[in-house]
Amino acid sequence: MAALALQVRSLVKRYGALTAVAGVSFDVARGEIFGILGPNGAGKTTTLEMIEGLRRPDEGTAVVDGVDVRADPRGVRARIGVQLQEAAFFERLTVEETLTLFGAFHRRATSPQALIERLQLGEKRKAWAGTLSGGQRQRLSIALALVNDPQIMFLDEPTTGLDPQARRNLWDVIAEIRREGRTVVLTTHYMEEAERLCDRVAIMDHGRIVALDTPRALIREHTPGTTIAVSISGGAEGLDALPGVRHVELEDGETLLSSTDPIQTVHALMDLDRQGALHFHRLRVEEATLEDVFLHLTGRRLRE
Amino acid sequence: MKAFAVTVLMLFKHYFRDRTSVFWGLVFPLLLMGLIGLAFGRGENLSFAVGLVDEGGGPLTQGLRHGLAQVPVFRLTDEEDEASALDALRRGRRTLVVVIPPVGTGEAVRVYYDQARLQESRTAMVILDRFIAEANLRIAGVKPALRVQATGVAAARRVRFFDFLLPGILAMTVMNSGLNGLTWVITEYRQRLVLKRVLATPVHPLAFLGGLVARYAATNLVQLAVIIVIAVVAFHATIVGSLWTLTGLALLGTLVFVGMGIAVSTVSRTPESANLLGSALSFPMMFLAGTLWPREYMPAFLQPVISALPLTPLVEVMRAVAARGEAVSVYWTSLLYLSAWGLASFVLAAWRFKWE
Repeated sequence: MAALALQVRSLVKRYGALTAVAGVSFDVARGEIFGILGPNGAGKTTTLEMIEGLRRPDEGTAVVDGVDVRADPRGVRARIGVQLQEAAFFERLTVEETLTLFGAFHRRATSPQALIERLQLGEKRKAWAGTLSGGQRQRLSIALALVNDPQIMFLDEPTTGLDPQARRNLWDVIAEIRREGRTVVLTTHYMEEAERLCDRVAIMDHGRIVALDTPRALIREHTPGTTIAVSISGGAEGLDALPGVRHVELEDGETLLSSTDPIQTVHALMDLDRQGALHFHRLRVEEATLEDVFLHLTGRRLRE
Repeated sequence: MKAFAVTVLMLFKHYFRDRTSVFWGLVFPLLLMGLIGLAFGRGENLSFAVGLVDEGGGPLTQGLRHGLAQVPVFRLTDEEDEASALDALRRGRRTLVVVIPPVGTGEAVRVYYDQARLQESRTAMVILDRFIAEANLRIAGVKPALRVQATGVAAARRVRFFDFLLPGILAMTVMNSGLNGLTWVITEYRQRLVLKRVLATPVHPLAFLGGLVARYAATNLVQLAVIIVIAVVAFHATIVGSLWTLTGLALLGTLVFVGMGIAVSTVSRTPESANLLGSALSFPMMFLAGTLWPREYMPAFLQPVISALPLTPLVEVMRAVAARGEAVSVYWTSLLYLSAWGLASFVLAAWRFKWE
């Protein structure tokens, strides 16, 4: 067993004049949930598909569980579980039949019954795949990815298009997969999803990884800190001299203080209020998110 | 091997759960056979309803009457009077009405015919003319200098219209499964990324595609069997040749037209356009290739085109076997030509095929 689940080295993919993936490298440790976060068109799916052996890289390679994908793409596919973004099923096969069919595509397969129970598809066992709801389809999709009991799984935007309830439900499924010690690589453009699920996150934009770390480290490093929003009567002068404050701006009648030490800053604001130097009606403290990281790194929001 | 077998089984189920495919694969061919049979299939029992109005009642009339009754294609009905006979003619119940005048009046034998069915009436008229001429000669006691002795040469077996039609319908169904069915199916699987999902497993692509082709072979055999049973039971069609040979021909045809279907699907992005292109190829063939009526009905300038169509040899050989019980070996050049179409299609398909 290779020490690393995945080693990605300088992957490049070009489509004519467009470079979809422009030299992507990263490693994924065993048992890790690794997220690739980025807007649509950032090259997330192309990167994933090159690693899965579905697309041939123009340059670079990936070693999956010790197997070089350029040398043996089918060998890679035998070892991994793949969930494809937006792929459909055979509409008039039941959930059980779909699992039987895809099980036959692998050397050894988990029984359909076990997968159906795991993904809570019991009620839909005899239902045609074409009649499933969005959340059920995604669970069937993950069941298909689990059919060969893989140690490494690739999930491409597993929760896109789902309602919040179905999304949370799927997060539980992924957390469960991780508890079993499997490695998961997933793409998403939901920063909340990346923060909740992922041990480490690579932020991708225009075919490149612009930052890669744990969600906390990314936030610490790439955002101005916590934002304290106050509505003040009286001037905002001198607020930038308060402890911890790095930056002050006005937005929609609110004064936004970026602070590296929010507790000290709030204490100082309270003191000013008690002294009568200013008076504030409302106070909100907002932790920075990966969204802010993305904004900081690219100057754009994730979903625009 | 397991992947192949399970693919065939599952896709087989998947197919028969689709009502539209059952329509095109089963109901449509049977409907077409029934309709074409109704339109063209009645000419085989050539007979004319002749109404006879006897105004004389003498021995001459008796003689004529007796003579007319001898003409095999005349079904003779004695009429009460001219008016009711003409009424029956107008309502399409008679092809001819013959009025025999009283003897000695010198009046002509009057014949009325249905103008709406000119061709039928003319044929009956010719027969009647011949009969009258013969009668005149006999009465005059002239011995004809020239005689014709006609002997009909029956084929090894009399081929009824449905016997002729059935193999054409079978060949057409095989063609449609590839050009109309598969073109849609494979482009839809590609567009909706079903093919990609299959490719994301370690299965060998040929195990899956082979399974898809075998599914067509299986569903075609089931469909043809049902069509044959219904044609035999409902339309009294008969198959004189070997059913095993027919099965073999159906399988060869399936391979050829499935290959063409895959080739067509490689040039179309959407199921709609692939299906349209497939229909544009299959529809003219359906009408030209001798499928529903003999190809000799088509004008001479089209004959070289008809000979070039891939459906023509399939229809030809299936009909030779089914309707006339001939040996396939006689038709080896036709089969070779058909196979060449299949081979060319598969080469094109393999060269251009895309999974997504």
